[in-house]
Amino acid sequence: MSLELVCPAGTPSALRAAVEAGAHSVYCGFRDETNARNFPGLNFSPDEMIEGVRFAHAHGAKVLVAINTFAKAGAMDAWKAALANAEKAGADAVILADLAVLDHAATHHPNLRLHLSVQAAAATPEAIAFYADTFGVKRVVMPRVLSVEEIAKLNAAIDVETEAFVFGGLCPMTEGRCSLSSYATGKSPNLTGVCSPPEHVAYSEDRNGTATRLNGFTIDRFGAGEQAGYPTLCKGRFVAGGKTSYLFEDPVSLNAASLIAAFAKAGITALKIEGRQRGKGYVTEVVRTFRAAVDAIDAGGTEVEVGRLLAGLVEGGRQTSGAYKKTWR
Amino acid sequence: MAEHFRGELPRLLRILAAPAGFLPLGPALTLAVRRFARRKPAVFDRLGEYGKCSFLIEPSDLDFSFLMVPDGVRSEVRCMRRRATQPADVTVRAPLLVLLGLLDGTLDGDAMFFNRAISVSGRTDSLVALRNAIEDAELTPADFVGATGGLGKLVDRSVIGGLGLARRFTGSPIPGEPS
Repeated sequence: MSLELVCPAGTPSALRAAVEAGAHSVYCGFRDETNARNFPGLNFSPDEMIEGVRFAHAHGAKVLVAINTFAKAGAMDAWKAALANAEKAGADAVILADLAVLDHAATHHPNLRLHLSVQAAAATPEAIAFYADTFGVKRVVMPRVLSVEEIAKLNAAIDVETEAFVFGGLCPMTEGRCSLSSYATGKSPNLTGVCSPPEHVAYSEDRNGTATRLNGFTIDRFGAGEQAGYPTLCKGRFVAGGKTSYLFEDPVSLNAASLIAAFAKAGITALKIEGRQRGKGYVTEVVRTFRAAVDAIDAGGTEVEVGRLLAGLVEGGRQTSGAYKKTWR
Repeated sequence: MAEHFRGELPRLLRILAAPAGFLPLGPALTLAVRRFARRKPAVFDRLGEYGKCSFLIEPSDLDFSFLMVPDGVRSEVRCMRRRATQPADVTVRAPLLVLLGLLDGTLDGDAMFFNRAISVSGRTDSLVALRNAIEDAELTPADFVGATGGLGKLVDRSVIGGLGLARRFTGSPIPGEPS
């Protein structure tokens, strides 16, 4: 296996769906603020995590537990408990971002394999060496701001594995440093594990279409039949300089399937699919399609038409290779 | 109001389905949900506080809708004519086949939202919680009629096969395909 496919699971049934669809690894989180997909009804109890790991291992897959929010000063109990519960469940690795959580894991759970979350935004050899030398981090998830060439150069300068997002929702901001959701709602993926928390999202329809509001701010309006996106400020439409446009980023999903061979050549160990908040239908289709694409490249075959196969699942009905190609430069 | 979306039932089927609104669907569904709650209480634990919320489910191609409070063994489902619709914490509106696809996990809720196959108003957080709880429930048609064993498998195969055909026939969204 040249490339490991790391797939999302928001619920135990999604974990089973991912494993059965061909995931090499599944990543998931506990049902609290310790992970960056802290949506109502989502995620795993400690007992469900134990059962999920058991199921994955029985089918030859690994489980990586995301504990990737930033711990609150003086109130680290939830993060400590998550680490202990991940180890108890037999997780193959934990995905962390916060320095204090990394330190606690390295000190009190030395047998846990540590991966550095994209939330840590480590994009230089110096930053990555710090995490590797200080805490024993074995893998770093690449921020979605680097080109394939930049990742190849980075891989040549570091001694740890790298993992790159290949499909799904696309943050245009540097992860872990975006405050847009905090600005509008007081809650963020970084601290509370949720971007645009749904209790602050409201939709209303009138004859002009559907308006999206985030804590009272109107952030977009879709005409009848127009494709929609997630209700985040970064994908909102605003008037600036007399022009209405998607000021930060269009509603669009990442799809870097055409770069799988380039990722392998760049020394990347694992490809990650975004979407722990998505349903089993998404998980099954995306994992099955990407497993076929990775296997085809491994076998020296031709690319699978991922874009066409998954066109019905993407945000805004559009796909992009994001910063990996950087043709806009 | 939501525009006509491909995948809605053909006019003839709508006319044929209209009398169903007068059947005791509410009590039957209430019994089915309560029976399911006794078998799989973890699904309702996942809903948490949102189990007390009221969900108005409006099939856009039928003349009746469902008001549900998914409160475990105290769950209630009411079926009502569209004109008699009551206020609810959250309303979700979509063609019947799309709603059924979301119920059994065949279709992805976010994708249906992106494609404008569903519309939502009211408390978005309660609908997100319900969607996630349903996703994990792995509901099958047999769960709704209380069928188990061989009969349950037969019910599942028949209904899922029938729904697949109906989706092809009506042009309803198919998993992974553009809408």
